[in-house]
Amino acid sequence: MTGEVIFETQGITKHFGGLAAVDNVNMKIYRGEILGLIGPNGAGKTTFVNVITGMLPPTRGRVFFKGRDITGWPAYKIGRIGIARTFQIVKPFRGMTVRENVAVGAMFGHKGGERTAQEALEKADEVLEFVEMAHLRNHFADQLTLAYLKRLELAKALAMEPELLFLDEVMAGLNTREIEEAMDLIRKINASGVTLLIIEHVMKAIAGVTQRVFVLNFGTELAQGTPEEVLNDPRVIKAYLGEKFVERQRRLLHQKSSTTNA
Amino acid sequence: MSSLELTQGVVNAILLSGTLALVAIGFSIVWGILNIINIAHGAFIMLGAYITYWLFTLFGIDPFLSIPLSMLTLFIVGYLIQRYLINLVIRAPLLVTFLLTFAMEIVIINLATFFWKGDLRSVTPAYSGAGLTLGMVQIPYIRLAAFFISLFLTGLLHVFMTYTKAGNAIRATGMDIDAARLQGVKIAHTYALTFAIGSALAGAAGSLISVSFPIDPTMGGAYTLRAFLICVLGGLGSIPAVMLGALVYAFIEVFSGIYAPGLKDAIALFVLVLVLIVRPTGIAGKAFYH
Amino acid sequence: MTEKQKGPMTLSRFDKLASNRQRLLLVGVFGFIVVLFVFPLIASGFWMRTLTLLFLLAAMAQGWNFIGGYTGYAAFGNVAFFGIGAYGTALSMLRLHFPFLPALLVGGAAAMAFAVVIGLPVLRLKGHYFAIATVALATALGEVADFWTDFTGGAAGLTLPFFRPISLSNYFFYYLALLLVLLGLGLTYLIMNRKLGYSWVAIREDEDAAKMMGINTTWAKVVAFALSALMAGLAGGIYAYWNTFVLAEEVFKIEYTLQMILATVLGGPGTIFGPFIGAFMYYILITLLVFFLPVGQLHETILGTIIILVMVFTPQGIMDFLSGRKKLTLSSLLENIRMHRV
Repeated sequence: MTGEVIFETQGITKHFGGLAAVDNVNMKIYRGEILGLIGPNGAGKTTFVNVITGMLPPTRGRVFFKGRDITGWPAYKIGRIGIARTFQIVKPFRGMTVRENVAVGAMFGHKGGERTAQEALEKADEVLEFVEMAHLRNHFADQLTLAYLKRLELAKALAMEPELLFLDEVMAGLNTREIEEAMDLIRKINASGVTLLIIEHVMKAIAGVTQRVFVLNFGTELAQGTPEEVLNDPRVIKAYLGEKFVERQRRLLHQKSSTTNA
Repeated sequence: MSSLELTQGVVNAILLSGTLALVAIGFSIVWGILNIINIAHGAFIMLGAYITYWLFTLFGIDPFLSIPLSMLTLFIVGYLIQRYLINLVIRAPLLVTFLLTFAMEIVIINLATFFWKGDLRSVTPAYSGAGLTLGMVQIPYIRLAAFFISLFLTGLLHVFMTYTKAGNAIRATGMDIDAARLQGVKIAHTYALTFAIGSALAGAAGSLISVSFPIDPTMGGAYTLRAFLICVLGGLGSIPAVMLGALVYAFIEVFSGIYAPGLKDAIALFVLVLVLIVRPTGIAGKAFYH
Repeated sequence: MTEKQKGPMTLSRFDKLASNRQRLLLVGVFGFIVVLFVFPLIASGFWMRTLTLLFLLAAMAQGWNFIGGYTGYAAFGNVAFFGIGAYGTALSMLRLHFPFLPALLVGGAAAMAFAVVIGLPVLRLKGHYFAIATVALATALGEVADFWTDFTGGAAGLTLPFFRPISLSNYFFYYLALLLVLLGLGLTYLIMNRKLGYSWVAIREDEDAAKMMGINTTWAKVVAFALSALMAGLAGGIYAYWNTFVLAEEVFKIEYTLQMILATVLGGPGTIFGPFIGAFMYYILITLLVFFLPVGQLHETILGTIIILVMVFTPQGIMDFLSGRKKLTLSSLLENIRMHRV
């Protein structure tokens, strides 16, 4: 794939005691793409994201954003230069309303410095419209269903106006219809100019939304390529997909390519 | 200092560490399993001390023989308090349980002062003053006995925790409450049992303390603080960790008592803060009770 | 329009959307403050002094509210700042011959400086560890102050000159303390409407998420801690001059921390008026105890029992009921147990 490299990791390694949870990962993310990150449970996907977003310091390796070395930067600084993420287990601010939750992102994220709290609340309204949650703006976060909580998580990240967005298993726990809606939303976000990396177990989403996929196993890179390449790679299959599953996806992909792409 | 002072100091510290370990261990299992800092721990120690005192003064029961009685009483008291009071809010934010146990302490101390008055008392059986003398170093029999009884009770706790069904249920609950529940462990009862054991051990410690030191209703606070210090120093992870912490702390206390008596607590407290900042899990500890 | 419910920020916005109940509450509080301003015209010295003490408690509670209520870090050693403020003010007046008001500012600044220095390492601790670290520091500080006789007068204490003219003394300290309370209210209102306030609540609700969203949590926490120190420090300075006597044993009493926390919790932690209302509730409670219980020695037992009842049934304080968010029913009282039992 060609294009501007917006994000790059070189040799990122994270040790916990004697265990290497992430081992020498070299990843490039190109501006404008939707990159999928898959791998069996415990492969190190979330740890990897935790390291590159400043939640954990890397044991070794470097991280670059738009050419700038951001290795070892604290999470809040990374949040302010245009990177945002969602968490696998949602982290809403339960004591605040939906609107206030999202406003926090607008206050402290990428363009936060230019805004007052009041302006951030207005920006929050915009974002809530975008994710179609405006009708819930004055509800408290602890009153939402899981699907809406996930969407709130997304809205909070979007309010930060990121150039690069990491989504950690946004589809987990959603039913079929909710997954379709989430996939649409992801495409919509990408279309508005945001580069995305999505960690997923829901292969339908990976197949349907990403242009490239990166596979992690035991903390290291196992394979890289288009969804089709990756899902057909025998090593990947062996690692966790299973033969039958891949067959199903192959059929799905064929169906997709015979209709118009999103 | 002279080598005699040094040796006596070391001996005192070692003897003290036994009792302090007992003081701390009850506190540490409540903290480790229930995630509660029991501010009233010292008050339970005080109750144990007074039970021994009254049994001795009114009925002439030897203080060491009264230990099972004070343990039983505190066991029951602790069980009831946990089961029917603390369990009600145990999953609340820490401030709630903190203030709750704080209030419990206030109530217990106030009632004790009301009924028993604030004067200092001591338990002085006939053999109080006796001891052995190694060279010029004094080793009172009472402190020696307290040391060994503390070790014995600590060992008993270890056996209970490792080899009995109830003990394992407690440890399991501390590690993963949901898994424990799924295995059929009755959480409310297990919590109450844990707290009861912690209280019983506090009672035993109080009984032992009553023979060596004067007691009054407000004696407990200093012990709660020491219990906390020891748990932070040694770590919450296991019984040996607490014992290690008790040993280290005993040395700090004895020797700062010699060098800087006015600042004894301040020194201990600064050490505490330092340890918290540098290594919050303590010298040997883990994040939860093993 | 969807029903306006009480949130951490809601009562801070006096917009038309606030419910009638909340507007009533606002009017009530402001009316009450006006009454407090004219109260000295009719009150005796005894009542003025009692209220002055109450105002100091309210001020400290408001300060605690910043770090404990809004930010969610249960500091248990804020009396340390009270003591530092008292000593800072006293020493500036005695050794540096400052007049009172500049000395008061010195006391407040000293408390803030201490909070920043201590806060940076200690605020990295979580939950219980943070709470105990703060208690430990406050206790240690008290001992050091007691011990360091040359500097602090040790066990003999420091004696300050009287406020002159003496006839106006009661008024001076009453209004000064009341102004401090208003400062607290004003600060709280200003902050909770700005980014800093949101960052505090975000930290309380989920510190990791707050960090990820770009909040410099270290800075925000230290500011909360420092402002809580400022309030307690100024209260301490006022107390020092008012009492004309500063003694380590007295100004580092752990009871003061307990009182300020209790006042906040009774009134409603994480709300603007909570600490203020809570301070009044606390005093009324104490006064009732003293009046109606002939058995003097059992006051603490009753107080302790009340604290236990509050912690079990209404740890969120009375604010939720006052602002209409919760109705005073048996069910809402049991809600806390339902949510937090084993």
